Parts: sequence; C-alpha cells; structure tokens
Amino acid sequence: MTTSKISGFARRHRTMSVATVLAATMVLTGCSGGGGAEVGEESGPIRIAALYPTSGSLALLGEESWRGANIAAQRINEAGGINGREVELVQADVPDVNGATSEARRLLDGEGLELAIGTYSSSLALAASEVYARGGGTYAELGAISEEYNDRGYENVWRTNPSAGSFAEVQIEFISEFVAPELGIGLDEVEVLLVHEDSSYGSSVARSVETLAAEAGITNIEYAPYNAKSTDLSSTVLGMEQADPDVVIAVSYASDAILLARQMEENGVVVPAFIGTGGGHTLSSFGETLGAAADYVFNVDFTQYAVNPDATPGLEEFLTMYEEEYGEGPASGHSLANFMGANVVFDILEQTGGDTSAEAFGEAAAAYKAEEGTTATGWGVDFNDAGQNTLAAPYVMQWRDGTLETVYPELVATIEPQLATEGQ
Amino acid sequence: MELLIQTLVAGVLLGGVYALVSVGLNLLFGVVRVINFAHGEFVMVGMYLAFWLWAGLGMDPYVSLLIVAPAMFLLGVIFQRGIIQPIQGTSANMKIFVTVGISIILQNLALFLWGGQYRTVSTSYSTSVFTLGGVTISVGRLIAFIGALVLVAALFYIMNRTMTGTVLRAIAEDGPTAVLVGIPVKKFYFVATGISVMLAGVAGVMLTPFTSASPTFGFHMTLIAFIVVVIGGMGSMVGSLVGGVLLGAIETLAGTYISPALQQAVLFAIFIIVVLVRPQGLFGKGAGTEEVGLK
Repeated sequence: MTTSKISGFARRHRTMSVATVLAATMVLTGCSGGGGAEVGEESGPIRIAALYPTSGSLALLGEESWRGANIAAQRINEAGGINGREVELVQADVPDVNGATSEARRLLDGEGLELAIGTYSSSLALAASEVYARGGGTYAELGAISEEYNDRGYENVWRTNPSAGSFAEVQIEFISEFVAPELGIGLDEVEVLLVHEDSSYGSSVARSVETLAAEAGITNIEYAPYNAKSTDLSSTVLGMEQADPDVVIAVSYASDAILLARQMEENGVVVPAFIGTGGGHTLSSFGETLGAAADYVFNVDFTQYAVNPDATPGLEEFLTMYEEEYGEGPASGHSLANFMGANVVFDILEQTGGDTSAEAFGEAAAAYKAEEGTTATGWGVDFNDAGQNTLAAPYVMQWRDGTLETVYPELVATIEPQLATEGQ
Repeated sequence: MELLIQTLVAGVLLGGVYALVSVGLNLLFGVVRVINFAHGEFVMVGMYLAFWLWAGLGMDPYVSLLIVAPAMFLLGVIFQRGIIQPIQGTSANMKIFVTVGISIILQNLALFLWGGQYRTVSTSYSTSVFTLGGVTISVGRLIAFIGALVLVAALFYIMNRTMTGTVLRAIAEDGPTAVLVGIPVKKFYFVATGISVMLAGVAGVMLTPFTSASPTFGFHMTLIAFIVVVIGGMGSMVGSLVGGVLLGAIETLAGTYISPALQQAVLFAIFIIVVLVRPQGLFGKGAGTEEVGLK
C-alpha cells in the first residue's frame, strides 16, 4: 500500500472539487432533461422513441417491423402530421436485452421521450417497457406476443397486436369450427400432435395450447419437442408417422420449418391438418423454397397480404408505400402489424392534441375504440385494463400455389380452407 | 422392425454429414497443432458460396464444388499465413482465443453481408428419395455420405501414399526435427491448413441441397465436429468417419426410441463417457496423443 503524497489539506480540497463538479453535472443534466421536454411540448415535432432490433440475430424481422412504423409516420406526415406538428420517430437499435434497457433509459431520461413504440421481440419488449413503465413513460408494443408483457401490473404499457395466448385460441377454434366437423369426428376424438422447437418460443406456445385444449375438450394431445438447430428431423418425422394424428400443430423457426416439411415429404407423411404457429411457416421463403410441398399447410399468424381487401382498409396503400420506399415487397406481416399499431398510436395522439405524457395518453387510449374490419390488419381496437387490445387476433392462413391465402375467419378470408387429405 | 431399420439408415446418413464436417479438423490438429474453433464457420462460408453461385448463376451445388474447393483452399492458406503463423509458437490458450475470435468475426461478417434470413437452395432433387426394401433414403444425404467416404479415402491416400502426406506426417510426429532436417515447415503448414479449410468448405457445399445456410449455423457444426473428433480419436481420419457415423446413429436412435428432446443430451452423455473411459478416442493413436493440438 502506498501512502498518498498529497497533504491533508490538498486532499480535502481535491475531494471538494470533485464533489462540486459532480453536483454541477447532476444539476445541469437535470435542467436540460426537464427543460427540453417543456420547450418541445407546444411546438416543433412530436418525438416518439422507436426501439427495434435492426442488427444482430433478430435483425431480419426487427428491421421488417421498424419499416411498418416508419411508413406509418411518413404517411401521416404527408397528410399534415398531428395537429399540424410533424411526427418524428427517434429510432434506436436494440439488438439484445442490454441494449434495450440502456437505450430505453437514454431515450426516456436523456432525451425526454415520454412515449415509445417497438419492439418485435418479447424479451426486448419486456426489458424496454420495464424502464419506461417504472420511469413514468408510456410504452406501446406493436408486435411482440409474450403474455407476460401485460401481466406485470403496469398502467402505461399498451399493446395493439394479439398476444401469444390468442394464437393457441385461434388454433383450437379452427380445429373445433372446421377441422373436426370436416373429418366428421368430435373434439374428444380428434388426435393432436404438438411438434414444437424446444426453446422458450416453442415451449411457451405449447403450454398455451395445452391449457386451452383441455378447456375445449380436446383430450388426445401429445407433445414432440425437437431442437431447432438439428440438421436432421428424421426421428420427429418417424414419430409423427407412428402417431398418425389428425392434426399437427407446429411451432418452428425458419430453417426447421423447411426441414420438417421436406423430410415429411421425403417420407411420404401427410397429415389432414398441419397448422403452423407463425414463425417459420409464415415467411415467404417457406413457400418459395418448398414449392408444391408447402401446399395445404395451415398457419396461424398476424395478418398477411392475401386477405379480403374490404376488411383491411389501408392495406393496399401500405403495400404501395412499402414498395416505393424499399424497392421490394414486405418479407412478412410484421411490418403491417406495426403499421396498424403506429396508426393507432397516432390516432390516440390526435385525441390528446399531441400530448405524449403518460396521463393524457393513458386516458385517450382507454377510451379509444375501433371496429373490426376498419384497420389495415382487419383488427379492431379495444384495450382492456391491462392495456391489451382485445379485438386483435391472428387469422388462419393456408399455403395454396405458393401464396399464403387467408382462410379463417370468414370476414377476412379470400378462399375456403381445405384439408390436406382432401386436396391430394 | 421397419422403424428400427429406417431409423438406423437415417442415423447413418446423418453420421455421414457429421463425418464430412469433422474430417478436416483432424489435419489441423495433427499437423499444425491448432484447435480451430472457426472450423464450423468455414463450413458456413462454403454453404453461402454454394448458395450464391446457385442463386446468382443457377449453378448446381455439386458443380460449384469446382469453384468453391479451390477458393476455400486459398482461404485456408490466407488464414494460415495471416492468422495462425504469427501465433504458431504461442500457448494453446492463445490459439483458442484467436480462433474463437475468428469464429465470431466470420459469423457477424456473414450476418452483415448476407443478412439474418435462412438461405435455402432448392434443386430438382432436394426432396428426392429412393426406396430400398421399404426404407426411404434421401438422395441428397446419400450423396453427402458417399462424399464423406470419398474424402476420407482421398485424404488417407494423400497422407499415406504421397510425398506431401509423408512430409505432413513427419511434421506432425516431430516438428522441431522436421525443421532441422530442412523441411520447409511453413510452406507445408499452408498446405495442411489449406486442405483443412477446403474440406470444411466442401462439406458445406455438400450440405446445401438439404440444409439452410445461416450465419450461426457454423457454431453448431463446430461443436459436433469436436465431439466426433474426440470420440473418434484425434488425428485419426478413420476415427472421424466411424465416430461421425456412430454419433449420427446414436442421436437418431435416441430421438426415435427415447425422445427427440433428449437427442443432444444423449450425444453429450456419450461424449463424457468416452472421454472418461478412453480419452484418446476409439481410434486414437494411444495414450499420450490426447494433447494433440495443445502442445
């Protein structure tokens, strides 16, 4: 241990200087933070934080989600903005949970952005919204589905898109409304095999299905988890062949969805109703890569693009703007969901006169209502006490001739659903 | 009974894939004494090259081998000259750190250049199968299996019947003496690493007809390759082949008869047992060679 060479007086003096500098910094930061928000309130752009993973492993659909929100902002600015003020989305890249937390802090405390939208990934949404909710801000989720998001007891977290539970709900509904009757058997006779990738995504969906299936009276349900990174799913496919189910509910990422379908085709395994749960079964690459092998695969997910135009006003406009801005079509329905959600946020801000404070937004959001069939996704809007939009629901699609057509519910369907065994 | 045979066939074919990916790793272990954690990433690079040649020029993956193999050899030489050579004399830990770093760089470079989505090649024979006595065999995987056999045979021939191979084995046996005897060791390191990376790339190409390419695919493969090489015996090419096939069979059998969820667990359990009971692996060159790559 070395003893300090500075004398006692000098040491005290140094400590005082450091303390003074620290105090000054804190005061100045506090001032600028508070001052900024006050000055920007009545005039200038309405600044909203937008947290999306546009780099890292979630980048593909993170970027896709951001594009939807971005186009919504462009569109409303072209139409004159909100109360004559321009909408400015302050984009932040949040590739992982650490990034989500630190960026949320920076945007809320540092930049004074009281309202935030995002996020595509459930874990990122949970992290960022935690910062906002505790810090007195408002977080509006436009795409992540984890149930936990609305379950934490926070007042100012909102979500415009359907939650994970609703995916399972729609699947069970589809089985009881279409599959079972079509097969001529009762719900207690239907045999369901749940093939899911074994990480938290697949497992949490499996749990939701399990609960709801039991409630609906579906008693014959088995589970077949697998590792999404496998290069070979022969065991799973052979198991499927042995089980010979009426319905397979699959929860897969991109490459395992393709691998599973390919190996099912190779082994000649056909199931009357194969129902994907978003994820890999929605991506355009699924249909492109598999060609005819993708036909008759059902899929439950956010609104896609082959859907009844009468029930989805604004969708055509969205597609045109997307094509113009990015020179290609959307990769998935995530952008559409974020487009719809951002528009809802902007509509709510119209009601508050541009006030982004938690109180004003909260009041207007609770009172905001829209009927089904009046938004670009076809979803209605009605937030419950926990902030979840109860009128948002995924639809059932089916791959037919390379297009993901909407088949259920009737309001939004483009064609009638068909069992794989009938179509062959 | 039919289920058992079908499972075994699927398992052996999968094992062929594993063997294919692991063959190149042995060379780098045995001769250059480097534990290459970026091996899987080179497989990934091979897959992407095959994909882009297919997507851009419509080239069949097997045909693209003519371009990808030499390209990967060159990459291996550059890798040796630029990355491995400077750290050749340092500790084993240093070599591990460096190759792990290369692995991360390659993964993120792929993500940056080619995006996060999975790239899948779709050929006329992608889902082709033929049946033999009630058992379904995927054409793509069979070709990959045969490819593994051919590569191991070719490598075996090179190592045991050519001068180059003899020199490489000499260097592996006693590096310092090789230098003293006047062998241009550095040049031969280029050859060894070049071949190793080329084999990884070739494995990638042969996987393309039935596997999707993604930036993170490599890490999974590196893990498998290490297990295969340890179980088969470090430095033994036949060991990689047998080890790979064994692993594939065990994994698929476990999946069918125990549970697909436990496949990976069973794999690693076997790995631990082999390391405890016979650390030099099934075909390892006897006790004392376990440290190949760490000296």
